[in-house]
Amino acid sequence: MMDGVVDRLMVLLILSDVALLGMSRLGAVIGLAALQGALLGGLALSASGETSRAVLLAAVGLSVRGLLFPWLLRRTARRAGVQRDLEPFVGYALSLLIGIVMLGASMALGARLPLGRAGVSNLVVPAALFTMFTGVFLIVARRKALTQCVGYLVLENGIYGFGAASVGEIPLLVELGALLDLFVAVLVMGVAVYRITAEFDHMDTQRLDALRG
Amino acid sequence: MHDSTLVFAALILPALGAAAVPLLRRARGVLAVTCLVTLVDVLLAAVVSVSVLRKGPVAAAAGWLRVDALSATHLLLLSLVGGLSSLFAFVYFDDELQQGRLTLRQSRLFGSLWCGAFFAITLLLASNNLGVMWVGMEATTLFTAFLISVHISRESLEAMWKYVLICSVAIAFAFMGTLITAAAAPRTGAPSALFWTSLLADAARLDPRLMRAAFVFLLVGYGTKAGLAPMHNWLPDAHSQAPAPVSALFSGFMLNSALYCILRYLPVVESATGGEGGERGLLLALGLVSLLIGAGFILFQHDAKRLLAYCSVEHIGLICVGVGLGGAGTVAALVHALNHSLAKSLAFFSAGRLGQAFGGHDIARMSGAFRASHAWGAGLLFSLIALSGAAPFAAFLSELMILKAAFDARRGVLFATLLFGLGLAFLGLLRHAIRIAWARSDATPRRLPDRAIERLIVGATLCLLLVLGLGWPENLARAAVSAARIIDGGSAAALAGILP
Repeated sequence: MMDGVVDRLMVLLILSDVALLGMSRLGAVIGLAALQGALLGGLALSASGETSRAVLLAAVGLSVRGLLFPWLLRRTARRAGVQRDLEPFVGYALSLLIGIVMLGASMALGARLPLGRAGVSNLVVPAALFTMFTGVFLIVARRKALTQCVGYLVLENGIYGFGAASVGEIPLLVELGALLDLFVAVLVMGVAVYRITAEFDHMDTQRLDALRG
Repeated sequence: MHDSTLVFAALILPALGAAAVPLLRRARGVLAVTCLVTLVDVLLAAVVSVSVLRKGPVAAAAGWLRVDALSATHLLLLSLVGGLSSLFAFVYFDDELQQGRLTLRQSRLFGSLWCGAFFAITLLLASNNLGVMWVGMEATTLFTAFLISVHISRESLEAMWKYVLICSVAIAFAFMGTLITAAAAPRTGAPSALFWTSLLADAARLDPRLMRAAFVFLLVGYGTKAGLAPMHNWLPDAHSQAPAPVSALFSGFMLNSALYCILRYLPVVESATGGEGGERGLLLALGLVSLLIGAGFILFQHDAKRLLAYCSVEHIGLICVGVGLGGAGTVAALVHALNHSLAKSLAFFSAGRLGQAFGGHDIARMSGAFRASHAWGAGLLFSLIALSGAAPFAAFLSELMILKAAFDARRGVLFATLLFGLGLAFLGLLRHAIRIAWARSDATPRRLPDRAIERLIVGATLCLLLVLGLGWPENLARAAVSAARIIDGGSAAALAGILP
């Protein structure tokens, strides 16, 4: 019964990754990353049983990933005045094709590594790996600093899903510490993007090329 | 005082400092308090580590914190390099204050983040839990990010962005490795399942396939932060753009703390895979590539701080090679880490101070460095000679011992490659050192004041480098051997036959 829900969540996660690869509007990209945060909150809840600790962690994770981050990133985007990532290093059509290859690879990898916990849908590990790959790909293939920042968030989403699927009980202290670090990382990146835009009048990372050799 | 209380104090003091420093109202006061807090902190850390090296591991906080010989040697390194850097930071930024280049806001930012970085590094060294160690590593990245761009300029922002993005992604990979390790650990549900002590005790029962996968993620993740080639791209930018005291802490200690994380995992992974996983081989390969790339880039540098940054890539590579060889190589690598950190921080101090006098770190501009300051000119000249591995200084001895370990292990090709890389770095550094000391540029430097504290920093560090170059004191060798025993597990070498 539970597995059906998790399967559906994971299919949605994979679809959101595919959509991320094909989108250029920053608002939509940020929204998708937030949606993933919400999906993973659901996964964490159903994967670790409905103890009060799990509910608490899922609620905290959901509000940070689903509400706080998108708010921070949207605010940065507004202050920096950007709406789209035009002319990325890798075009959107090609990105989708590469996405399909990455999906195949994560399915194959997920089937080979002895990672899934007993009782958790075996779609979780491949979906989490695919989300990680998507995040890394966004960082490498997109030009705007803010899109790279979303890419980092997607990578973290994937790792979070992976952890929920394969590890189970991580000590509360560690989990909260990791979440705090992630929060500060996004905050730091947001401020960095803001400063870069203020100084350079753009946030095109390809033009950050003064330091070489 | 009880040792476990001291561990707590060493953690809490810099955290308090980070919170309190922004409340101060005068820029000079901010700098002084920052310096004082970190100096007391490193003193506490030094007391703890000496006691650990004498009497054995100390645990605190129900086993969440634990200092053993490996963390103690690194804490001692932090005490030395961190203490010197804090003293120097006061000198360096005080000069900027007098030149009107530092605002109150910037000095608060610096003080708070500097204390924060000390907190994070102490946390990662003293934690007994692999998750908490990861949290500490990530926190160092975040605390130090804005230290790079204390002075906002296009270059410093570019360096900061590269640093934050590359290192955050790398540390995310390390988190993945941590999670895989946790997945391989037995599921007892108790928080102690992720403690080093219990992982190490159970290591033989961990799934070898998972541990092998985990180690690759950890090596890439923490290795990026340690500046191992080919993941070193962020390093020359960050180290050259950061203010000199920050560069010194980066090169002198942050790289080592990232390497420490890898060293922590090594015995666990090795006993899970039975030593068949090729972990040492990976370390050797990465180390050798870093050594060669670092040495190659040294030859073509125009900027003094970039030169030092590539030199760090070279030396971190050499340390990795030493650990990859194991036994006597591990011991020599640990001593070499100390030698490198001391010489490198002195080099960054000198380059930074001379840069203030010449108004830039361009080697051509800085030539004839003695015109600006005798103390710092000598500091840069001799630290570069020490870093090149020339004879009377400390690095010569530890490099020799690593070479000897490669020779004794009958790794002919490795030995030859090492010799080639070290020779290349030697020539490159010596060429730059001679140019900086005796060539003359058109630039007329501002004459730096000749203060006792500056002469003390240069003199003390150089003396230490000389003493360590004559032979390893018994205590130092003993500490290195007991730390190496932790890294190498059962196969550790005995003390006899290791001493040069």
